[in-house]
Amino acid sequence: MKRDWWLRTSLALLLGLVVYSWTCGEIELGQLFTEQRQANLRRFAGEEIVPYPLRETGFSFSGWSSWAMELFRSRGAQACLATFAIAWVAISLAGMTGLLMSFLAARNAMRARPFESQGAPGAGFRALTTAVRALLVFLRAVPEYIWAFLLLAMLGPSAWPAILALAIHNAGILGKLGAESVEALDTRTLAAVRELGASRGQVSVLAALPLVLGRFLMYFFYRFETCVREATVLGMLGVVSLGYWIQDARSKQYYDEMVFFVALGALIVLAADLLSAWARGTLRRMR
Amino acid sequence: MMSRALEQAPPWWRSRLGLFVLLGFSGLGALLLLEAPFSGLLPQAGGLRIVREFFAAMLEPALDYESPVPAGTPSILSAALAGARRTLVFAAAGMSLALVLGVTLGFLGSSAWWDEERHTRAAAGLRRAVWLAARVLITLMRSVHELLWAVLFLAAFGLNTFGAVIAIAIPYGGTLAKIFSELLEEAPRASARALAQLGAGSVQQFVFGLVPRALPDMSAYAFYRFECAVRSSAVLGFFGFPTLGYSIAQAFENLHYRELWTYLYCLIALVLLLELWSASLRRRFVA
Repeated sequence: MKRDWWLRTSLALLLGLVVYSWTCGEIELGQLFTEQRQANLRRFAGEEIVPYPLRETGFSFSGWSSWAMELFRSRGAQACLATFAIAWVAISLAGMTGLLMSFLAARNAMRARPFESQGAPGAGFRALTTAVRALLVFLRAVPEYIWAFLLLAMLGPSAWPAILALAIHNAGILGKLGAESVEALDTRTLAAVRELGASRGQVSVLAALPLVLGRFLMYFFYRFETCVREATVLGMLGVVSLGYWIQDARSKQYYDEMVFFVALGALIVLAADLLSAWARGTLRRMR
Repeated sequence: MMSRALEQAPPWWRSRLGLFVLLGFSGLGALLLLEAPFSGLLPQAGGLRIVREFFAAMLEPALDYESPVPAGTPSILSAALAGARRTLVFAAAGMSLALVLGVTLGFLGSSAWWDEERHTRAAAGLRRAVWLAARVLITLMRSVHELLWAVLFLAAFGLNTFGAVIAIAIPYGGTLAKIFSELLEEAPRASARALAQLGAGSVQQFVFGLVPRALPDMSAYAFYRFECAVRSSAVLGFFGFPTLGYSIAQAFENLHYRELWTYLYCLIALVLLLELWSASLRRRFVA
């Protein structure tokens, strides 16, 4: 790394921030070891997370597995499926709108003469790209939880608030990443297609789209992973995904069930990671 | 015209188009599975009013509390700033722990420092076992969402601000470790090989040959995660930790949308500021 005053200042600022954060007294490290908290921890680890039917009889693997299978069959399986489905519908919606918006936000596509370097962009086109970009910033700057709160108040309880909240937030992210990919295209080939008489729609759909699609799908699967994570958590707002049962067990203080559903959540996140890694590997080979 | 152009397009485009269509249909399939009827998209009674009020409040964030508060309560602006400060404090503290975890596990979970020729078979076996253990640990840490870690720590310790720090540190440490180990493995090996020719040991090659090559990308990624940590830290407020999310959730419950926007703007400003900072640093890292 080069010696650079801004890098050094930033490093010093960050170090200062870390030192400040540990010393300003907001982090109650000392309180962690009070008698009450220790007792709380002992109760949690020693009793509460032990599966309910095993508390009297002591641990046995068969007892544990029948308890886990029962939970999985009665609620877990359905909740896992719902979590996956919410994430998949949300990311599909986000992908479609994000792809459309990434072309509308790309400054090289939205100009009087698309993908050609000469000529002014034109005031109307400049206004369009600026407006779409501002919209994308807004969509992704508001956290998905806020969207979910708002949509829940608007639509009432169903899977839609979670789906739309994830779709809106991710459309903002995919739109931004997609627009960057479109702007990174080699415009000489595209300008050549224009020379042959292709209209704006033809050059966008038949020439530019195939060129960015591979990269866009990479982002799509990367965001799918995140969507599964967030879909789990958004259930805590009342949609019947895994988070719903986590919150349910938490409010009843059934900590054995809560830990079970958290672990189940970890498993499906792992499954989504593997699926996404496989899809991205396949895409890379297709290129 | 369109179909002729498609026939002449190279086959990989057709298959990607196929993939695209498949994605669309599977989204519909997932929707059917969720049994979320489209009627769920219609606002419930009074739903539209809430949304109208929410977005009307966007243009006039509260500069003063919307309901009477006890005398001596700090003004809403200083409350928002204090929330932002605590958001930053938990994010910085969590991130500093995550960096320690990420560097340690990233080193143990990467094969870049292995020297296949010099070590005995027993040492190689031990190394492989450590590698595997580190990988499993990284996956476990990563696949539980930070909010779920927070819920677990709330159950185990009760409300303690260190819980927020550790809830950020664990999943972020796992993610940093994963990315760090990948970056180390992809870093150019030329200087490490040159050091080997000079007789440097494998750890020396790693520290002086590989790490400097991967360091710019590692720092850029760590800073990006810091941005994410600020967002997560804010959202942890929904569970009672004293960050911006706490004030946001309270304003939502009291239907004080103008107050909500004050806090939300504060969060958006914080995130945008960090995004700008990180972009300015990334330009210097890459250059």
